[in-house]
Amino acid sequence: MTLTGEASPDATASPSGPAARAVGLVKTYGASDTVVRALDGVDIAFERGHFTAVMGPSGSGKSTLMHCMAGLDTPTSGHVFVGDQEISTLDDSGLTRLRRDRIGFVFQSFNLVPTLTARENILLPADLAGRQVDPGWFDYLVEQLAIGDRLAHRPSELSGGQQQRVACARALIGRPDLIFADEPTGNLDSNASAELLAFLRRSVTEFGQTIAMVTHDPRGAAQADRVIFLADGNVVGDLAAPTAEAVLEQMKVLGN
Amino acid sequence: MWKATVKGLLAHKLRLALTALAIVLGVMFVSGTLVLTDTLHSTFTTLFDNVYQNVNFEVRGKAAFTGSAGTAVRNPIAESIAARVRSVPGVQYADGSVSGYAQFVAPNGKAVTTGGAPTIGVSFEPNPQLSSLHLRQGKAPTTPHQVVVDAGTADKYHFAVGDQVRILLAGPPQTFTVCGIAQFGTANDLAGATIAAFDLPTAQQLFNRVGLYDAIDVLAAPGVDQNQLQRAIARVLPPGVEVVTGQTVANEQSGSINQALSFFSTALLVFAFISLFVGGFTIFNTFSIIVGQRTRELALLRILGASRRQVFRSVLGEAAIVGLVASLVGLGLGVLAALGLKALLDAFGLTIPYGPLVFQAHTVVAALVVGIGVTVVSAVSPARRAVRIAPIAAIAETQATEDRSSNRRIVIGSALAVLGVVLLAFGLTKPAIQLVGIGAIGIFLGAGMLAPLVARPAASALGRPLARVLGISGRLGRENSMRSPRRTAQTSAALMVGLALVSTIAVFGASLSRSATASVDDAVSADYIVTNGATGAAGFSQSVAAAAGRVPGVTAVSSVYNGQFEFRGSVTNLAGVSPYRLSETVTLRMDSGTGAGALAAGDLLVDTTTATSKHLTVGTVVPVKFARTGDGTLRIGGIFKPNALLGSYLVGDQVFLSHFDQPLPVAVLIRSSQGASPSGEAAVKAGLSSYPSVKVQTQAEFKKTQQAQVNQLLGLVYVLLALAVLVALIGIVNTLMLSVFERTHEIGLLRAVGMRRRQVRSMIRSEAVILSVFGALIGVAIGTGLGVAFAASLKQQGITDIVVPFTSLVVFLVLAALLGLGAASWPARRAARLDVLAAIAAE
Repeated sequence: MTLTGEASPDATASPSGPAARAVGLVKTYGASDTVVRALDGVDIAFERGHFTAVMGPSGSGKSTLMHCMAGLDTPTSGHVFVGDQEISTLDDSGLTRLRRDRIGFVFQSFNLVPTLTARENILLPADLAGRQVDPGWFDYLVEQLAIGDRLAHRPSELSGGQQQRVACARALIGRPDLIFADEPTGNLDSNASAELLAFLRRSVTEFGQTIAMVTHDPRGAAQADRVIFLADGNVVGDLAAPTAEAVLEQMKVLGN
Repeated sequence: MWKATVKGLLAHKLRLALTALAIVLGVMFVSGTLVLTDTLHSTFTTLFDNVYQNVNFEVRGKAAFTGSAGTAVRNPIAESIAARVRSVPGVQYADGSVSGYAQFVAPNGKAVTTGGAPTIGVSFEPNPQLSSLHLRQGKAPTTPHQVVVDAGTADKYHFAVGDQVRILLAGPPQTFTVCGIAQFGTANDLAGATIAAFDLPTAQQLFNRVGLYDAIDVLAAPGVDQNQLQRAIARVLPPGVEVVTGQTVANEQSGSINQALSFFSTALLVFAFISLFVGGFTIFNTFSIIVGQRTRELALLRILGASRRQVFRSVLGEAAIVGLVASLVGLGLGVLAALGLKALLDAFGLTIPYGPLVFQAHTVVAALVVGIGVTVVSAVSPARRAVRIAPIAAIAETQATEDRSSNRRIVIGSALAVLGVVLLAFGLTKPAIQLVGIGAIGIFLGAGMLAPLVARPAASALGRPLARVLGISGRLGRENSMRSPRRTAQTSAALMVGLALVSTIAVFGASLSRSATASVDDAVSADYIVTNGATGAAGFSQSVAAAAGRVPGVTAVSSVYNGQFEFRGSVTNLAGVSPYRLSETVTLRMDSGTGAGALAAGDLLVDTTTATSKHLTVGTVVPVKFARTGDGTLRIGGIFKPNALLGSYLVGDQVFLSHFDQPLPVAVLIRSSQGASPSGEAAVKAGLSSYPSVKVQTQAEFKKTQQAQVNQLLGLVYVLLALAVLVALIGIVNTLMLSVFERTHEIGLLRAVGMRRRQVRSMIRSEAVILSVFGALIGVAIGTGLGVAFAASLKQQGITDIVVPFTSLVVFLVLAALLGLGAASWPARRAARLDVLAAIAAE
């Protein structure tokens, strides 16, 4: 990697070890008798430079897991680490800074701020932090994502695929420790989905980016280095170097 | 369908509350004004009914003519008439009374002032059945050195029976012994007036009524036919004297006060209306946004079979409920507002008496009609837009386009604005104040409709510095304000109206203030100006001029009198001034004829404006009429350039005094050989120390006082307009809340990618500042235009200089920005507090 981003000092503090991990993660909702255990003591680690997919049926807790690990939600008990930093104890301000500086997001939909142009959307986290981005890195991402001619456009003038590629650029621009992608292809047609997944794959392989992705799509999961299966708030499966068929097979097993 | 409306409302209680608040304040103002004026009305009517309840008849001079304030000017009648009246069979008792100017001096040496109410001296009527004064303590006055003090004044200044009290009179001040303390009817005093009661001969002496009465009050013997008695009394009266019933007098008295009250009530209602008008803008905007946000829901209703009419009724029904709730709350608060208004007027020196609150049915009706009316009317246009929503909008992605009707809006908006300007101009030249008001409304509505055209570029320009200073938060705030020009413009429109009025008043006031001081420069050459220090007071002793003349170094003294006379059949103001060494005290620039010479010769002077409009030239002999002396003629001896101090008609003091009965000078002008110096001023003040009611000022000080008076009035108007501005701010809060609600997901996204709470807040605040400064800018621009127009239209009335107070206007803009910041604080906090996860999950 020849390009040096301007990530926060913490990002390089511990080059070894997982990019993020959870220990004994429990998340419950509701009061005493109607309590729902969305996460029931999950231990998980997202390896640095890996593309990890998280799968599971609706209600399996995969979204909750992602939210807790991305600093969007606070766990009921257990510990979440991003790098070496325990984030389960951070206050809102600390969590905000964590998300801004060390985590990237790609959501299923409504991913961009409608009043900002594509360029401004990409630069948003850096602007929020009052930082400059590496112009070379910006140009490179824009070129790789083929959105150079759309930078002055607003989200409403972009196709769904273009919007999602802008969101990818926004997630990558700060070289975060970890990118969380929450069903990023959920609203895309198959062509756009394939392009986006290919790009995510490449960013892991070529730039060493760490990505965790929640998905329903076995073909999407097949792009990952590893697939973790969740059900009823527990890790119930772990598949390395997955293929679409293997993923489907595993899902069938879990479905039964 | 009705159920859906009600359920929808209940689901958005906060929205309902905020929307209603805009109307609550206006309704509160309306009902507060009505409660206050009804209360005052009832207080005065009861008071005078009490006072005259035992007086069967009053014999008095016939009114020569009715003065401009609605008070008749009457001549005193001969003492001998009383004996004739007493001799009429059926008259049980009849006694004369006189009244005049008498002002107490408080124990601290300062004159007792009332803040507008008169300071009266009367003759004490010994017959308790006839007298309106009822002794609470002590006894009636019987010697020339005794006085009865009204209980209100006695309580306030701790006058006790046996105390010595100094009283200022038309002649030199005198010291009396308090012999009694009396109530006026059942009240402690007469509507805030102070009363000094002397025995009849003393009062006649003091008030220049030797051998004369102002009126004779008559008690009828029991069982006598009142009509017959009145006719019998009338038969013994000489020409020019009449007999009326006590009830007639009571009605006249309360009638003239109620006339003043209705003016006061109208003035307050104008401000209430302004608040409601601004509230209407807010309602309109809120409903527009709500309809926009509910597009899908309304379309779904259409799919499910709701007719256009039902959708229309649903939106208007929501408005009606909001209006009803707001009116009821406003009505309740109105009672409190009545107390608040009273306190406000007190604070600005307008003292008014107070009785138990009167709450009449018409207050309820007015509150409900204006509250519900304004709300429903404001919601008509949004409701029509709701009707146009196609059922397909429930499933289609795209929202109703915003700018479909923009051409129509431009046409209607321009037409309204032009029509408004025309009506305003016509109203100003006529002058017809209603037309001016309607014209202003037209201009505001037109501006409100046209504002969306410039909202986008304006918001962009206003937001640029914010974006530069605040970075991304400012930029997002700016983008948000540019996102929907129509919403931005509509939200700002309310503030536009508020600030336009504030600016109008500022320009008008600055012009008035400058003109007032310029006219002093133009009109007065004296070193010192002596006036009555209290607001609204009639005048002061005639002997002040003589006392001033005795001050060492004083070379010229002139008393200025003011009164009314009939000139060629119409009642108008006349000033009187001493011609002796006139040029040392008054600047009179003659256009033709002579000044001092003509005055000394007993001629009338008129100003050029009057001369031109009435075709008068030097030498013209004109018919005039005075209340006291009747018909006569005066020769025009000269024509002078307009003089703000003296007005349009001027005579010498000898002529004036011969036609008026013991007039009080309104000003005394003094020239000193020492000029306007501290030592000279001290000398004049020392010479006038026995007249604590007067205020000695140098020209410069006098000008400052004039300005201060204008500023005080401005202050009162600003406070009354503040409510309209407050309503406008509520509109901004409301819009921002709705926007925050609408952009929940977006804000969640911003928070997810790392926007800090502080940044969220500053984003919302930026938007608010842009909104408010945009509204303020248009408002200040319109207001400056209106103010200049008003001031220009009053050139004849003495506004000679037109001043645009740039500093004040800039301060308004800055204030608007700060108020916008304030309005944003709650929505900003709410946006910052949004739960990130829930926000992302929304929709």
